[in-house]
Amino acid sequence: MTTGAPGARPRTGPARSAPPKAAAAPAALAEAERGLFEVRQKIYPRAVHGWFARLRWAAVWFTQVLFYGLPWVAWNDRQAVLFDLGARKFYIFGLVFWPQDFIYLTLLLVAAAVSLFLFTSVAGRLWCGYACPQTVYTEIFLWIERKIEGDRSARAKLDAAPLGARKVALKAAKHGAWAALALWTGFTFVGYFTPIQVLGGSALALSLGPWETFWILFYGFATYGNAGWMREQVCKYMCPYARFQGAMFDQDTLIIAYDAGRGDPRGSRGRKADPKALGLGDCVDCGICVQVCPTGIDIREGLQYECIGCAACIDGCDQVMDKMGYPKGLIRYSTEHAMQDHSGLSGILGRFVRPRTIVYTAILAAVIVAAITALFLRVPLKVDVIRDRGAMVREVENGELENVYRLQVMNATESAHRYRIAVEGLAGVRIASEPVIEMAPASTRAFPVRIRLPAASAKGGSQKILITVSAEDASGLEVREKAVFLSPRPEN
Amino acid sequence: MLTQRIAWILWPAFLVACAMEVVFFTLFDPADLHLFGQPVEASRMTVYSVGFFLFWGVGAASSFLTCFLQRSPWEVNRCPLPPVARPEGCPKRDGDAGCA
Repeated sequence: MTTGAPGARPRTGPARSAPPKAAAAPAALAEAERGLFEVRQKIYPRAVHGWFARLRWAAVWFTQVLFYGLPWVAWNDRQAVLFDLGARKFYIFGLVFWPQDFIYLTLLLVAAAVSLFLFTSVAGRLWCGYACPQTVYTEIFLWIERKIEGDRSARAKLDAAPLGARKVALKAAKHGAWAALALWTGFTFVGYFTPIQVLGGSALALSLGPWETFWILFYGFATYGNAGWMREQVCKYMCPYARFQGAMFDQDTLIIAYDAGRGDPRGSRGRKADPKALGLGDCVDCGICVQVCPTGIDIREGLQYECIGCAACIDGCDQVMDKMGYPKGLIRYSTEHAMQDHSGLSGILGRFVRPRTIVYTAILAAVIVAAITALFLRVPLKVDVIRDRGAMVREVENGELENVYRLQVMNATESAHRYRIAVEGLAGVRIASEPVIEMAPASTRAFPVRIRLPAASAKGGSQKILITVSAEDASGLEVREKAVFLSPRPEN
Repeated sequence: MLTQRIAWILWPAFLVACAMEVVFFTLFDPADLHLFGQPVEASRMTVYSVGFFLFWGVGAASSFLTCFLQRSPWEVNRCPLPPVARPEGCPKRDGDAGCA
């Protein structure tokens, strides 16, 4: 169950003192709750304040202002970011993507995956600790819970108390607030796929479509269940990333580590007592690091699979160290190597550049460069030439031969364009149908195109021609497509 | 044990269904699909939604078979539940908790 880092469990040694106080938690803590997978001890994370808690709240604000706010941003009279599944068009600010642009989505996902690998190998589970929706919503739901039910011990007491008017009122208020936030989250989520202004209007008029209603409730329920009930169990039992992140770890990866050399032997003492005289290390064994942990582990036992890298224990421990007048950082961000050779910050930074991070960075850079290049070279006009299967070739007046094609034209820009169709490649070849076509913004249309060739130029069989579709405005859009012109073979 | 099994069956299937939904409906337009030779008349939203549950169902069926076949002959010959998880009244319930 440990991560892949070898020797990931620094032993605390035989000098380890009495079990942490957290083990002797309130009676309510001992109440075994039937969890999803195993008999789960309900975890009541204690509120924590400090540098990393502020950083996490900053991440919560950043991601959630982005998530809840983005669908309301307008761009050219439409929603700036809209994945219009009904029309099969994705709008992202000035860009319109079609299913044909799948490659960009693929590149984006590959880049996201590789950057996750890079961040993990450099700084551990940054994603889990600060940016993962599971962490973010759990943080918000915990905040609501704390505001309504109180902090750790008050919540544990409330859960243990018999059902009464106060308990019912508090629980109802909490679940009401959770449900409201979850529904708003579901509504916002669906608002990325259906224009959110329209969606809001029909929600107010109680005329939401059946599938919209369903998906709002589905996503809302998932948010409520994951952030309200499942919490750390999602990370421990359901998250594939949590399972394989250890593979990206090595001994120079930033982890949250307890400095056993400095902290052990642990034991309580008065604030004025001299730990050396008592034969103790700096750890006062207060158990705060365990109480604040959202996954309920004891970081002093070393790096564990359950650790999501949220740094709550660092904040908690630093507060205690301050109170005791000891230096901060008994639990801190460090690497295994830096812990072993006490090299501190220089030892950590000095090993940032190593084969693993170089390889990840190179792959990431290559993917990003490829994606950006492809995006810049992308012509928002697509043309498919399909030969009309019905008629092979037709003799028309003036001794000309005629082939019929279907031109599938896609205008992927957001403005209307007039395009001129031209043909070249054979002497005297010309367009016999209307050469100018009109295209509405972000639309696809098929046009029949008749192409004629003087009989003198026809050699029989198939001859290559080139069809050009070019915009009649300053946009410079032009696409050239190859096609074949068929003519009957001369009789022998 | 039962909830654990249900989660094992439904959760991986859900993840796979999400990926499948994106890939399949990027490549195929619901408006181009045919059902028993007839064009599908339902709205795209309906097809996307129904498609998602189809993928989820197929994934769940596969997970179910994996779970089902995972048991070794040794386990099939005996009660698969650890003694502590056996139903109340089972004579072998209070056996050695460490022995499955």
